[in-house]
Amino acid sequence: MMMSAIDYALLIPIIPIVAFPVILFIGQMFNGMPSWRKAWKEGGTIAVVVLGVVLGLSLSLISGYIGAVSGWDAGNANGDVSAHSATESNDDAVSANVGEYDSWINFHITDGDNLISESFGFGIYLDHASVMLLFVASFLCLMIGIFSLGYMNTDEINLDRNHRFYAEFLLFSAGMFGMVLADDFLWLFIFWEIMGLCSYLLIGFYYDKPSAAYAAKKAFLTTRVGDVFLFIGLLMMWNLFNSLEFATVWSDAAIAQVVADGNQGQLHLALGMMFIGAVGKSAQFPLHVWLPDAMEGPTPVSALIHAATMVNAGLYLVVRMIPFFANDQLAGDLSTLALTIAWIGGFTAVFAALIAFVQKDIKKVLAYSTMSQLAYIFTGLGAAAWLLNNGHTTAGLFAFGASLFHLFNHAMAKGMLFMASGSVIHEMHHAHHKINHSHGDHDDGHHEEDHFDAQDMTNMGGLAGKMPITATAMAVGSMSIIGIPLIGGFWSKEGIIASTWKAALTDGGFLLFGPALLLLIGAGMTGFYMSRMWFMTFAGKANTPVADEVVEDTPFIPIPLVILTFMTLGAIVLASMHFIGWASEGFGHLSLDIVSGLVHELKHAFLPGGDDSVSSILFLVTMLTIFLSMIVGPFTAMALYGGRLDAYKAKPWLQWLIRLSHKVNSRSHFDNTAWAESSLAEALDKRLYIDDFYDNICEKWIVVPFANICAWFDRRVIDGAVKGIEYGSQETSTYIRSLTTGSARDYIMMAVLGIFAIFLLIWGVA
Amino acid sequence: MIDPTYAIGLGAILFTIGLWGAFTNKNAIIVLMCAELILNAVNINFIAAAAQYGDVTGWVYAVIAIAIAAAEVAIGLAIFLSLYSQRETINLDEVRLLKN
Repeated sequence: MMMSAIDYALLIPIIPIVAFPVILFIGQMFNGMPSWRKAWKEGGTIAVVVLGVVLGLSLSLISGYIGAVSGWDAGNANGDVSAHSATESNDDAVSANVGEYDSWINFHITDGDNLISESFGFGIYLDHASVMLLFVASFLCLMIGIFSLGYMNTDEINLDRNHRFYAEFLLFSAGMFGMVLADDFLWLFIFWEIMGLCSYLLIGFYYDKPSAAYAAKKAFLTTRVGDVFLFIGLLMMWNLFNSLEFATVWSDAAIAQVVADGNQGQLHLALGMMFIGAVGKSAQFPLHVWLPDAMEGPTPVSALIHAATMVNAGLYLVVRMIPFFANDQLAGDLSTLALTIAWIGGFTAVFAALIAFVQKDIKKVLAYSTMSQLAYIFTGLGAAAWLLNNGHTTAGLFAFGASLFHLFNHAMAKGMLFMASGSVIHEMHHAHHKINHSHGDHDDGHHEEDHFDAQDMTNMGGLAGKMPITATAMAVGSMSIIGIPLIGGFWSKEGIIASTWKAALTDGGFLLFGPALLLLIGAGMTGFYMSRMWFMTFAGKANTPVADEVVEDTPFIPIPLVILTFMTLGAIVLASMHFIGWASEGFGHLSLDIVSGLVHELKHAFLPGGDDSVSSILFLVTMLTIFLSMIVGPFTAMALYGGRLDAYKAKPWLQWLIRLSHKVNSRSHFDNTAWAESSLAEALDKRLYIDDFYDNICEKWIVVPFANICAWFDRRVIDGAVKGIEYGSQETSTYIRSLTTGSARDYIMMAVLGIFAIFLLIWGVA
Repeated sequence: MIDPTYAIGLGAILFTIGLWGAFTNKNAIIVLMCAELILNAVNINFIAAAAQYGDVTGWVYAVIAIAIAAAEVAIGLAIFLSLYSQRETINLDEVRLLKN
């Protein structure tokens, strides 16, 4: 029997889970020892090694999978997504099936002698979506692990508590890997909750800071709202299928049973409930409020959890729901949910971008940008779901593939952007320290912490000359998010927008015009807020003396930035490998032929599904998108925030950008003050009052009434029980005491009565 | 031989008189005497039963009971003496040391 990669796949989540307590305990033992700090990086070394091993295992699993699928003939090119025929294969693990399924542990639920279900076994399910997300997760975990070595271990606030960070980091990554590999909605949910827990722990890493503790609670509770609905959805699904295993619930037979029983409505509702869970996890309106506050956590946490991996869990859940939409037997039954997904996505895309316009905190801009980009993916998935559900399989699969590709591009670019922002914040922080110390404040390094905000972009400016690697990474990442042609996000975003328009232009899809239009507007807004962030941070003159002192010299931080910059640029190569087609499972092979691949993908970006009846409109839409995101957005930002660096000279590949921004800025005379003082700007700054609204609602309708109930329960039931026992025993004892009269005759009387009673008893028994 | 029924009847009458006296009298010495009556009622029962079944065990018990009763009287009188020396009374209604 040949062991192949899938036999080791179970190790991918298990190794980090095992390393989690190990780091925690070792850290507790060796805390404060110099070698633990220097060589072991307070557990960071262990974490990076573990993540490296996991990446190796993932890559071997993925290459095995791709190798197996390449042999799969493209004759199935129009194959149904739902046609995942799962096979239990232990010996020849990676076979040519689209869905790979392997099961290790099985629990059987029986009702007396009848087997009800055996779906609690943990198995591995591999398909294009899980393989891609597995790569994203394991690769970014390693990158961010390396980044953390530089970011966390050089800041003395974190001293002696970094082991906690690394341990929770690993537990989180185990949750992500497990969720991606799970073959069962229940296991997906379990790992989903592990991630939720780690998100809570890591946001609250600085738990002694009230705002961090508040943010952690907010994130936990907000996502919990979604999770409750998700769980209800899972229970409903269990009710329908007696199983939560992908292979079972997606099978034609199971769905045929549901249709035969007339339970499509219940299935629709179950999927809708699960979608609410996805909304919570992926921070979409109206459960988006936790994500911006989650930026209280250390920057690596923001990069990993709140940009690159965990927020994708919601998308992954929707991806796992797509086979229902694609099943012929349910054609047309699930349209409402598909439209809802698209609308929520479209609305959030614009809504979040609008708030990102005015944010001053560099991480908050990125947080809102994350919400907005995830919303794009949701819209793409919604359009895909609608198209598949209404029989437009080719276009639907294309939209599905484009969404997955955008997920990939966004995770890579956003992970990199967050790390770059972390680099900026870290160096600003250090520069601030250096200045403080040179003024002779040696006593306490943190006493001026409150006055200076190292994350505020208005304190930065002109950093392009001082931080070339970070500035380049940030520029490339921003371009990918904006969708500058040929770079990363361009392909996927054009794919999503074109697919949504395609769906809107299809018969009966007019309700999708809304999201389609919103996405188009959102593209221009993305161009503006991403450019605004870059120019505010890196162009113009230094706004504070601190920004003048910044140097890029922390070890480890540039490594992942450089790697990811090339990865993002390398998405051109991925696009040329027919990546969207591959992700949408329309094509069985990845071929590396750059020119024809690019042409193929470009054609697809304009014409999703290859249908040319609406090609001129789609072409126009694409051109409009490029115009909005590349010209309107960035040039407005340049006009407002561009400018020449004062003393430093930027690297040549950045210099032209700075010069251009300076030119645009000096030619245009935008007066920004009226806008900045308008009530709309204030409302945006306050996040459109939604957070306040939730706070008020929570306080008025949930916290206070619940507190009253608790107080009543405490006073009446708990205190009542204690007082009742006390009062009762006092009363009883007073009564019993009155029997002890002290009179000898009474005692004689009692003795006689007692004997009499005993006689009576004996007589009665006899 | 006397019918044991009479002996047991006599015992029952003596027992009732003793109990009645113990309930109704305040004087400690009279109560003690009533207790003796009760004991003797029991002794009569023992003897009656011993005669009926021709078994000496009842006699032996009666003798032991008499001996113990004598000791009990001695102790009881000693207590009353010491009580009287402290309280100047042996009226049971006035001596309620165990009250409450």
